[in-house]
Amino acid sequence: MSNNFISETSLMLFFILLTLVVYQVFVQLQKRCKKPWLNPMLLSILTLIPFLGFFNITFEQYYQSTAPLNSLLEPAVVALGFPLYQHIQTIKKQWRQIAILLFVGAVITIAISFCVTIYAINQYDIAVSLSLKSVTTPIGIALTEQLNGNNSITAFAIILAGLFGALLGPPWLSFINVNSPKAQGLAIGAASHALGTATISRVSYEHAAYSSLALIISAVVTAIFSPMIINTLVHFL
Amino acid sequence: MFSHIIYSLLSVTICLLAGKAIEDLLPILPASLYGMMIFTALLHYRFLNANRIQPCIEWALANMAVCFVPAGVGIINHYELIKNHGLMLVGIIFFTTFLLLTFVGLTYQRQLNRKETIIQKELSK
Repeated sequence: MSNNFISETSLMLFFILLTLVVYQVFVQLQKRCKKPWLNPMLLSILTLIPFLGFFNITFEQYYQSTAPLNSLLEPAVVALGFPLYQHIQTIKKQWRQIAILLFVGAVITIAISFCVTIYAINQYDIAVSLSLKSVTTPIGIALTEQLNGNNSITAFAIILAGLFGALLGPPWLSFINVNSPKAQGLAIGAASHALGTATISRVSYEHAAYSSLALIISAVVTAIFSPMIINTLVHFL
Repeated sequence: MFSHIIYSLLSVTICLLAGKAIEDLLPILPASLYGMMIFTALLHYRFLNANRIQPCIEWALANMAVCFVPAGVGIINHYELIKNHGLMLVGIIFFTTFLLLTFVGLTYQRQLNRKETIIQKELSK
């Protein structure tokens, strides 16, 4: 019994440390190269998968051992209240107009993602995961659990949505004549959450402020309305 | 610095616990989101000292992505799904992300332009 406990704890320590070290290596790499596509989360996942396969470790074993990391999800969402507080003060005047715009955007994309996925592959959990991909990871995962989606697919879809917007968002927005820093920031924060925000924040303070404002409001709007939208759609499909 | 860390940890924990209590009474949103709103409100109405919390929270926000690596690794359990529908799924993600980007960007830019023309008209009067 005690032996079991010791080996479980050491496994836990090993896997958590491994995850932290691999992640940190890629964080340093990205700091050097400054390329958004060198996303540390994506690269860590792509490194750990062959590692686990090589040593014949199942995902369940790894996931169980790294449970403490996962339990930080809830405090991470609470911590997002801080940027929200910072922006309530700076952009108080037009927040209603912005909230309505982001609400409409979120409703449209959630509905389209959900319906198209159901139509294409007819799997409820995958459709839930894909419709929650535009919000920041802690909230996306929390909602996935609430709506019985698939955590891994959500995590992956969120990274992809983030990368698309971070890499192609700025050139695309300029191409369609969306040139104001406010509009660019808002669009990228809404579609590509923290990843897009981090990338565009280097451009100007206005980009950063509007992007993180969009990120937070979209997350709240999605959290409140996605259960309703998805439950209604399930009814009709 | 150490007392700031304790202060930040305690603030987040208390907000999260309060969020759990609200979730028990009103199970509409996840507890963590209630916690986030309480946290924002306490900061806004100066019940919490933002200056003491800022460094720890900024560190946490910058590093929290590592917590989601394990969930992402779970993609290995979906080999079949990716083999059969991988391209389709990426296509859906790509298309809807661009749709949202374009919609929000264009609409807000148009609103800004309209505001500008109104101001210019006022000025030229």
